[in-house]
Amino acid sequence: MKNIKFIYLKITLLIGLIFSLIVSCDRDISDEAVLAGFSTAGDVFIDGFTGGLDYYPFGDSYFEAFSVDQETKYDGDAAMRFDVPNEGDPSGAYAGAIFRTATGRDLSGYDALTFWAKGTQSGMVNEVGFGQDFGDNKYQVSTSLQLTTNWRQYIIPIPDASKLTQERGMFWYAEGPEDGKGYSFWIDELKFEKLGTIAQPRPAILKGEDVSQQTFIGSVSTLTGLTQTFNLASGLNQTINAAPGYFTFISSNPSVATVSESGVVSVIGTGTTVITAKLGGVDARGSLTLESLGNFTPAPTPTQDASNVISIFSDAYTNRPVEYYNGYWAPYQTTVGQNDIYINGDNIIKYAELNFVGIQFTKPTINISEMTKFHIDIQVQGTIDPTDYLIVRLADIGPDNTFGTSDDSSGEIRLTKANLNENNWASIDVSLSSLTTLTGKSNLAQVIFVSDATITDIYVDNIYFYKIPTTPTVAAPTPTVPEANVISVFSDAYTNIAGSDFNPNWGQATVVSQVPIAGNNTLKYAGLNYQGLQLGSSQNVTGMTHLHIDYFTGNSTSLNAYLISTGPVEKAKVLAVPTTSGWVSLEIPLTDFSPVNLADVIQFKFDGNGDIYLDNIYFHN
Amino acid sequence: MINQYKIIKRVFTLSMILAFSSCSTDETQTVVTFKNLVMADEFDVDGAPNSAMWTNWIGTAFNNELQYYTDREENIKVEGGMLHITANKESYEGSGYTSARIETKGLFEQKYGRFEARIKLPWGKGYWPAFWLLGADIDTNTWPCCGEIDIMENRGQEPTRINGTVHGPGYSAGESITKSYNLVGDRFDTGFHIFGIEWGPQYINYYVDDVLYNQITPKDLPVGSPPEYLSNGCLKENWNRWVFDDQPYYIIINLAVGGDYVGSPNAETVFPQTMLVDYVRVYQ
Repeated sequence: MKNIKFIYLKITLLIGLIFSLIVSCDRDISDEAVLAGFSTAGDVFIDGFTGGLDYYPFGDSYFEAFSVDQETKYDGDAAMRFDVPNEGDPSGAYAGAIFRTATGRDLSGYDALTFWAKGTQSGMVNEVGFGQDFGDNKYQVSTSLQLTTNWRQYIIPIPDASKLTQERGMFWYAEGPEDGKGYSFWIDELKFEKLGTIAQPRPAILKGEDVSQQTFIGSVSTLTGLTQTFNLASGLNQTINAAPGYFTFISSNPSVATVSESGVVSVIGTGTTVITAKLGGVDARGSLTLESLGNFTPAPTPTQDASNVISIFSDAYTNRPVEYYNGYWAPYQTTVGQNDIYINGDNIIKYAELNFVGIQFTKPTINISEMTKFHIDIQVQGTIDPTDYLIVRLADIGPDNTFGTSDDSSGEIRLTKANLNENNWASIDVSLSSLTTLTGKSNLAQVIFVSDATITDIYVDNIYFYKIPTTPTVAAPTPTVPEANVISVFSDAYTNIAGSDFNPNWGQATVVSQVPIAGNNTLKYAGLNYQGLQLGSSQNVTGMTHLHIDYFTGNSTSLNAYLISTGPVEKAKVLAVPTTSGWVSLEIPLTDFSPVNLADVIQFKFDGNGDIYLDNIYFHN
Repeated sequence: MINQYKIIKRVFTLSMILAFSSCSTDETQTVVTFKNLVMADEFDVDGAPNSAMWTNWIGTAFNNELQYYTDREENIKVEGGMLHITANKESYEGSGYTSARIETKGLFEQKYGRFEARIKLPWGKGYWPAFWLLGADIDTNTWPCCGEIDIMENRGQEPTRINGTVHGPGYSAGESITKSYNLVGDRFDTGFHIFGIEWGPQYINYYVDDVLYNQITPKDLPVGSPPEYLSNGCLKENWNRWVFDDQPYYIIINLAVGGDYVGSPNAETVFPQTMLVDYVRVYQ
């Protein structure tokens, strides 16, 4: 179903005006008079609209879809005609509208909306119903409708008429092309009726199923599968989708979870509760048993810049279209669950009874050839035995975009107790270059998890690919330490030691330059083998406690920083590379550089490889 | 005339009510004329049905029906002023369903009179509730020779419709004399309705509530000669004969599941369900 937006297009019908003129009549009400309620009129369209009814097409629908037809009709003078456009029609790709009264009607004396309909072909109208008013749609009802090419009567039962004491939504529909082609259908004699034969109500939530879930405080979910089923005079059962407003929801333990009038379940405490519902005093089939385990620790928030990320599942990024998070692959898959956990604003995938499961994205496939890394956060529930494993497989289906052909390839990451944490998140970052069997990266189609039931319950979050840019896009963080506490070597924020040589000739191959990064002067070492930095004068830093360095490298695999005193006496500090999340701000305790003489510091040295960006090199206390 | 059991608990004034009601076809139509109550079971004593009145049919029945009839409380009991006949979906004695059938054979049998019951029916595909009469000499004069008067039978998939029917030699099963009655704006599974006949010499009148909807007389029977060989054992001289002036009949109330008349239940059929009988009364 398309997203339906409201555009204010109002066709006030003449009949409404005429009606309002006729009923104006001045007379004082007598003592016996009971205050008039809302109109109890049941007719909607017989040979024309009943008074006060307005037509509002959905915002992105074909506005000209509806007309009054005096040629084709079931009875009387006219019928409602709906012209469904062809697929991709620029003036609207589907037909849909609501028919709303200006003031509510009291429909509580009726039990069904009935009408006669036929189509130019036996189309299946996606949604037909009432109770949609572009307001709260509190008592919305819908069902699908199988048309025939002959006039046939249709009955849409009212789930609980006692609720409809001032309903404005008399009728609504939405229908798209059938097999890409538009067609027409007619509806006539549209009215609310008291049939007396709408019986045996059997409401349901969750499609009548008894569902059990583990959850956490902060989880918010909406009850779905809300239906009402009646047996009609024909002996057939008619099931309709009924809005939450018709139901009364009950939580057996409101200190664990509450249910709002609109069917939103909010977990607020630890323990177990059973969510059930009634409609019109009848117990609904289906229930939701929630076992709240208490507070939930979310996965670490990703820090990669969005411009360097292709995300499949993360609240930190815009995700690519995914067809499913669980394909329920028959016949051997046991895994249940998908992206159905929502806690404190965070969507999480939960898999249970895991043996294998796949996430698929083929519409379109994803080109990750520009990316270098794969990230995934996994939390294993329960214990992890030494022989347990979880394989994460990336599958590419090649340029032909077809599964099972010779251009397919895949690569695996095998995770064990060493990589995973029991009941805690583990953040996995893998270089795509290490997945040597993943030869294609332009048509990635699936992420597959295989545990062969060794690990059975996991949470998954933040599945994305990323690249580490070789050039920083933002400046290093601006230092905040007061100038008085600083001896600065290289920083725009401070007065630096005068006369330092940033490129002394020590026979190195490194190409040194100073480049502006977002307006901030930055020291760049391209093609590092080693590189010295000669201070303008010997520095006594014994009054300082730390050396601060901001560094960035997208491609280095080895980097050491040295402090040197006269002698020379030097000591290396290993810097973690590459900097996968942008600039790294490092505070190195000066004691780490022992035995360097901190009263006579004269040089720095870096060695390793790759392209290195440095900024804000200063001592401070 | 056999009239041993006068279980009369209260004087009923249906006839007065009916007299004041306007009839659907004719203002002067008289629905009931027999007003002398000779037998009634009001089902006012909790427990099994009164054994002086009713016997249980145990086992399977006819018409390819799917149920096994028992006398267990889960299938039949009197409670809260009602007879409850409940069909269950369960494996029992080789059948997939259980239910109950009671009859007054040998305990109450009568020729002519007004037979009526107030009943609320179950609903759904495959339910086949019935309130009917069989000729008392059935053991020697086999069906359909003995005659059968169906006061009410219903297909669960037709919640607004019941049928009234007679079967006899030459006009049984598919050739039976039948007429259906359709409730307008109401159903038989949402409330109680009165199903009855008034039966006298050469006629049977059928009514539902205050509506007389059919009269069957010998004129409705088929004409023609019997086939050379009568497989059902009826006498050739009885072929196409009105057999409803010959002998007393006994009462049967049952709830069948499946069978030729209704077809099998489907996935949407709700089990268990109960046919509720408020009373059975017979007048002369």
